Amino acid sequence: MRTGRTLIDVSRLPTATFGPRDMMWWGTAGFIMIEGTTLFICAATYFYLRLNFGTWPPQHTLRPSLLWPTVQVVLMALSNGPNLLLQRAARALDLNGVRRWVLLEAILCVVFVALRWQEFLSLNVRWDANAYGSIAWATVGLHATLLVLQALETLVFTTFLFSDRIEEKHFSDAYDSAFYWYFMTGSWVVLYVVVFLGPRFM
Amino acid sequence: MTPAVGVDPGEHAALERVWRDRTGLWGWLTSTEHKSIGKRYIITAFVFFLLGGLNAGLMRAQLARPENGLIGPDRYNQLFTVHGTTMMFLFAVPIMTAMGLYFVPLMVGARNVAFPRLNAYGYWVYLIGGTFLYVQLLLNTGPDTGWFSYVPLAGPGFSPGKRVDTWAQTVTFTEIAALVGAVELIVTIFKNRAPGMSLNRMPLFVWAMLVMAFMILFAMPWVASATLFLAMDRLIGTHLFNPAEGGDALLWQHLFWFFGHPEVYIIFVPALGMVSEIVSTFTRRPVFGYPAMVLSLITTGFLSFSLWVHHMFVTGIPELGSSFFTAASFMIAIPTGIQIFCWIATIWAGRPRLTVPFLFILGFVVTFMIGGFSGVMIASVPYDQQAHDTYFIVAHLHYVLLGGGVFPLFGAFYFWYPKITGRLLSERLGRWHFALWFIGVNLTFFPMHLLGLRGMPRRVYTYLPETGWGPLNLLATIGAVIVVLSVVLFLVNVALSRWKGSEAGENPWDAPTLEWGTTSPPPSYNFAYVPVVEGRSALWDRSPDHPVVTGLRTDMREVLVTTLLDAEPDHRHRHPQSTVWPLLTALSTGVLFITLVYTPWGLVIGIVPLTISFIGWGWPTERDHQEQLREEAAA
Repeated sequence: MRTGRTLIDVSRLPTATFGPRDMMWWGTAGFIMIEGTTLFICAATYFYLRLNFGTWPPQHTLRPSLLWPTVQVVLMALSNGPNLLLQRAARALDLNGVRRWVLLEAILCVVFVALRWQEFLSLNVRWDANAYGSIAWATVGLHATLLVLQALETLVFTTFLFSDRIEEKHFSDAYDSAFYWYFMTGSWVVLYVVVFLGPRFM
Repeated sequence: MTPAVGVDPGEHAALERVWRDRTGLWGWLTSTEHKSIGKRYIITAFVFFLLGGLNAGLMRAQLARPENGLIGPDRYNQLFTVHGTTMMFLFAVPIMTAMGLYFVPLMVGARNVAFPRLNAYGYWVYLIGGTFLYVQLLLNTGPDTGWFSYVPLAGPGFSPGKRVDTWAQTVTFTEIAALVGAVELIVTIFKNRAPGMSLNRMPLFVWAMLVMAFMILFAMPWVASATLFLAMDRLIGTHLFNPAEGGDALLWQHLFWFFGHPEVYIIFVPALGMVSEIVSTFTRRPVFGYPAMVLSLITTGFLSFSLWVHHMFVTGIPELGSSFFTAASFMIAIPTGIQIFCWIATIWAGRPRLTVPFLFILGFVVTFMIGGFSGVMIASVPYDQQAHDTYFIVAHLHYVLLGGGVFPLFGAFYFWYPKITGRLLSERLGRWHFALWFIGVNLTFFPMHLLGLRGMPRRVYTYLPETGWGPLNLLATIGAVIVVLSVVLFLVNVALSRWKGSEAGENPWDAPTLEWGTTSPPPSYNFAYVPVVEGRSALWDRSPDHPVVTGLRTDMREVLVTTLLDAEPDHRHRHPQSTVWPLLTALSTGVLFITLVYTPWGLVIGIVPLTISFIGWGWPTERDHQEQLREEAAA
């Protein structure tokens, strides 16, 4: 006995999908919107505060050094190659491929966190020196927070991927992790231009 | 719980076994069910409403006569700051989100929200944040710089100590809760709608919650950034708002109001959805002009981001900018007007029943329109410059927020209480509640227009007899007493009806939306069979044989995921189990944020438990649980 007639039987529908079909992808997209807005606010504040100064950086403040930040941004941009391969491997349900590329992503995350430390030093200004130093540190620091969280998450996920408990849905999780990585690296390219190249042109 | 009429008892038992929470305290602490979380969210937010009201009552008592000595200036500053912070951050936004988290899954035919653990986490974080604020107030170290904490007053130079840091962290807690709630709602609405509920068939309340959720997504990061910057200026010596080192005090106002103005609509837009559902049900016809209503909601959402500077007309911004924001402020009247005319047309063409929810909607129209008219007045720069920082603004904002938010909310309580509890609220007590509330609100706040016009400034703890403000203030305080009486009546009604109210049945109002198609209160799994939706008014339009979806597993938590536009069945999704990790993660978040108020080392201290709890949360244990369930079933 049941309330109504069966109009749709869903018992044969798949249990894992990729991209916008998947709920987790939309959850990730939601957090990208939140974090993207926050990073945008940092950049907007950067430009807003610029109006309070005659020169940028302010007098007696060094420009940021470019070596390590440029290494970082180039590596981040290049990491999207393996990231694309990770998404392909995930879609193909290729466990070895996913393990390989996620492991590489985890290693890169650790490298990027270490390089981020060098980037803070490359700002050549303390956060409490003036408003310029404050917003530069805030912008790099906020992205650094996201980077550390991503590194932690990727390390845990990598550890799990090498266990024997993998199911189909975990390929979709790997796909979404790669999707988030595009945001992390893409947003950093923009912020690199603002924070590290900006003082040379503004 | 007994199964709904027509549901196979065996299937009901299987679904209950898989979906219901554990019993007792542990079950309560680990629940991730949207109705359980939604209910406690609504109750908590209402408790904060009462506490915020208590603050207001104390302020009104102090202002009842000139040179009153009941409350000193320092305590008064804390009271108005905590009152505003409570009503905006701990009551209005959370309760609207909570109503969505309870009802949206039911209205779209889903079994739970998309990310149930995140939902539980949001609630616990919110509770910790709110409690933190009130502990500080009781310790006489509550924030005292207003709910918007303008710098430089709120900066380290003028507000030493930890009061403002408390405020900033409280706001951070509520931002997190609101943001995760918004993501929940968006994904649930986009991906968990019952087959047939294409976007153009969604109930207007669901549309309103969707618009609200997107507004939260783009508005909350602004106040999050503002409070982060403020905390940095105060804790580690940055200069973002310090003009002496190139920072900017006005930057605070831009950041705050870019959030603060949409915030008003984050409260108002869900209320519009509630009004539409109530008007439709009690006129027994679909709301007139569905496309116009939806487009108006979306337009209101967009326009609300272009008004923030009208809070800053006296800061000396360029005239051209002022003119633009005046025009934008006037424009918001257009989508609001369209909706009001659509409701009038619906009532005109329908057969209105003057039940208590409907009375509150009529009260909303009158009160909100008064707030709207004074809004149009202060959108004009010359007038605003006169009225700014006077009681005229206090009158306006209360008319808008109480009229536009709380009136519909009370209507929604009467409307949906039977669904949540299975019992109807008393109509008789409800009518008294409405009458006292309507009279009390107008008696409290209308005189404030006149007080403002006579020059009484906001945020003063007393005034001299010679000002002549005494009689109108006394009138406002009498109004506040009537408001208190009305709320007490409501609480009595809620308590009495919980035990002695008439049995509601599935659909006591003959309402059209899906939540009324299951038992009251709904079972843990919401719907035994996911319904198939055949029109905008899901229950009114459905075929006599009630078509449903079958094929979802009953031996594990499984939900149907549908396509974004047309809600066609796409795939099945294994739904996570209840767990204690969201609570532990929220506690860790609390440790991190609260320690950060006192020392930058809080980051180091707090990050360890937070990392552990995140790992615990994220580590997949679902397969173990499924195996355990199957073994139990086999046994």
